[in-house]
Amino acid sequence: MGLIVVLLFAWMLVIAFLAFLACTFEDLESDIGSQSNPNSQVQLAAQIGQVNRFFNKAISGEPLSNAMYCATAGTIAWLLLLKLEPLVPGEEWKAAVLAIPIGVAVAAAINIIFSMTAHCGRTAAQKRFEQPIYLDVLYGHLLPIATHAFMTTFFITCIAYIQSNLGTLSGNPALNHPFALPLLGFIWGITVGAIGSSTGDVHYGAEREFQDRPFGEGKRVVYHGKITRYAECGVRTQKDIAGFCAKFGGPITGMTFGLIILFENWRSLVGMQLGGYLPNLAASAGNSSVTWAIVMGLIIVITLAVVNYVFVRWVRKKCGPFVGV
Amino acid sequence: MEPILIIFWVVVGGLLASLGAHLLPVGGAPAAMGTATGIATGTVQIMLGAAMTGLFTAASAATFTDSLLLVALSGAIGATVMICVVMLMANILYTFGCGIVPVSGRVDVDPLTKEPQAPYKTPQTDGHGVPNVVFVSGMLGGFVGGFGGALMYFALLNYADFTAGTAAIGSLSIFVPNAIIAAYNIRGTIEGFHDPKFKRLPFAMVTSLVVSLLCGIMVVIASYLTVGGTM
Amino acid sequence: MTVTPAVVEEEPTKKGLSFKLPLDETEMGLVAGIVAAIVVVFTGLPAVIKGIALILAFLWGMDSVRKTSKYGLGTGVPSIGVLATGFGVVGALVGLALAKYGSIEGVAPAVLVGVILMGVIGLVSGILSNNEKVIAMKIPKLERAMMELGMAGTLIILLECSIVTGSLNFNAVVNQVMSTGLIAFMFIFTCFGLLHPYNACLGPDENRERTRMVAVEIAGLICAFLGFAMIILSSFSWELGSIVSVTISSPWKLWNGVSLLIFGVAVWAYFFRMFIKACMDEAYETVGTGMIKTIE
Repeated sequence: MGLIVVLLFAWMLVIAFLAFLACTFEDLESDIGSQSNPNSQVQLAAQIGQVNRFFNKAISGEPLSNAMYCATAGTIAWLLLLKLEPLVPGEEWKAAVLAIPIGVAVAAAINIIFSMTAHCGRTAAQKRFEQPIYLDVLYGHLLPIATHAFMTTFFITCIAYIQSNLGTLSGNPALNHPFALPLLGFIWGITVGAIGSSTGDVHYGAEREFQDRPFGEGKRVVYHGKITRYAECGVRTQKDIAGFCAKFGGPITGMTFGLIILFENWRSLVGMQLGGYLPNLAASAGNSSVTWAIVMGLIIVITLAVVNYVFVRWVRKKCGPFVGV
Repeated sequence: MEPILIIFWVVVGGLLASLGAHLLPVGGAPAAMGTATGIATGTVQIMLGAAMTGLFTAASAATFTDSLLLVALSGAIGATVMICVVMLMANILYTFGCGIVPVSGRVDVDPLTKEPQAPYKTPQTDGHGVPNVVFVSGMLGGFVGGFGGALMYFALLNYADFTAGTAAIGSLSIFVPNAIIAAYNIRGTIEGFHDPKFKRLPFAMVTSLVVSLLCGIMVVIASYLTVGGTM
Repeated sequence: MTVTPAVVEEEPTKKGLSFKLPLDETEMGLVAGIVAAIVVVFTGLPAVIKGIALILAFLWGMDSVRKTSKYGLGTGVPSIGVLATGFGVVGALVGLALAKYGSIEGVAPAVLVGVILMGVIGLVSGILSNNEKVIAMKIPKLERAMMELGMAGTLIILLECSIVTGSLNFNAVVNQVMSTGLIAFMFIFTCFGLLHPYNACLGPDENRERTRMVAVEIAGLICAFLGFAMIILSSFSWELGSIVSVTISSPWKLWNGVSLLIFGVAVWAYFFRMFIKACMDEAYETVGTGMIKTIE
């Protein structure tokens, strides 16, 4: 195999590891700010008389907000790269080392702005339920939120940069992805948010938010709104939640996105190799490489379905029918 | 520049997007608390996530093949892989993190594997987790949704002669209203093709047909007026 | 609802002071629509004027989102903001294509045909969504709201494109905005400018004045970012498909960008401070710290 092929596979593995880290921090960022689905419980809690000290970060859903941070970071990074790359011809990575962190820092600042408006706005609209704005909750959570968002957005922007320059980094510029850096950041931002919202939020919403309810059952409708407000260290805030969810929810969410990126890129590259498209980009081999990629994708999908079937059957046997009232 | 083909594929893509949104199991906010079956997020969010993953794969496939079927299939498989991994990991989280058994709340017996559901369900909830029939429904929904999105991208790229970036954002912009109107039709949560709410599908298909047709006509106008210059 | 006669209020000044006058929803829509339509047609105007028109268009869009969401959409507020932006991008594509044929030097009235076409599509989807026999959302005045959202979305995207490229030439927009990925940035910020104000202030004690401040504040942020983009892009000239860096071709473009950046930051800072202060004054109480209570 030529050097180009080895480099392609190496960069693809780097992207998969970065994706794992990105989604871990995305889940933690949505736990430290209480965003999206479990946030409906925080909103409901005040309305049924449970005054609380949670940070009510109601910035729409996670896919859209992560898309915003990643698109902003991608745009600022891309604009700075336009200016800086002509200064270091032949060693463009030096420009990237400066441009990417600056772009991501701007995105983290945007996160702080939107979080402040969301928390203050929602709490001010709950005046009749006697929910006050606690200034220490407001100011004390802004920096943790921004830090976690910085990590998520940084990894996603790195992934977008590598993917839009994959060919250049491996030696053949024709293999660059046709989308530009900001658009790739937007796409992965939506995906990482959708995954964090559907997997990671379950650990926060079903377990940590209702910590004093029995383990081993779905949270009943009568529990809704009565979130756990007194906990190990006195009155609970988001800082108590993120540490718990980082033990299980965060890594599982990270593994989800890492596996998805791994499967997607791996099957495309292996398809290209088997179809004879690499390393010379033979135009006639295009169809067969895509066919190979589709076949491998089908095998992966069927394997996952079988794994789920076996897993659900094992769980049902282990746990047995519901006992209790 | 072939106007009939553009309109036809945009309409088909829009209809498939609407169908995919109905097949995807969406539990909404209650599912994140273990009160409802399905993926614990909103319809529009997960639909966009799956379609974007499919679009990414389809875009890189479109650079070295000219076959409509292959590009659309690679987009579809990309979306399906994403949805399958998400549902499997969600099950692992429900089981080991919260001790919840995946069961469906809308049927008493799983239609595909004939396993009883009611004895395992927590009382006063509407099911929890992602049982087998819901998993299969999600696979189909991801496949159909990704197929529709990649179809629209291919039509805009090759028949309307847009550049890659314009075609991507154009297909996203036509995909989004279809998915949202389907979400309005579902009114929040749906479990899949075995859910009684699935029978409301024809209403959303009619609306999708009209909206996609109009958007397709707009795209044809835009493409026709700029043909001849580089787009 | 009795429609008050359209009294055209005084043109807003740079700091947006006239937002203190309670323009009701119909008047807001008419003022915003007319001003934005005029500004988008004359593409040679300085960027700050386009920024002011952008702020007005966001206020108009936010009103429609607020009217619809008050009745409970069932899927949440974000979906209707994303819907408006989706319509907006399709309408902008058509408007730009039409402008290629219906424009003279610096004036492009044919762009408004795209806006009106998108309003028609919004109306049709609103009718189908509310109709008893189809989706039957049963939200009063959904048709009018969706039509307004279609038009507002298109005007917003067109204004943003015209700010960055300085013209409404289709090739220039595709090269500088769509192929470079800037359109993704505009797409998501337009979504947020339409949905965040009402979503962030959701609750029984929400009032319209506070919510409008958030819309102006987000519009100011967008202006600041677009000004920064203009500063960087002003030193490049765009051939078809390739980017050639030139020494700054005209100082006019650079100063346009700098003025828009300063305007955006000023608008954002002023309205952000006003909003946070208003929230802290109008909440139940604002305390440094405290214990919690349970109300039975």
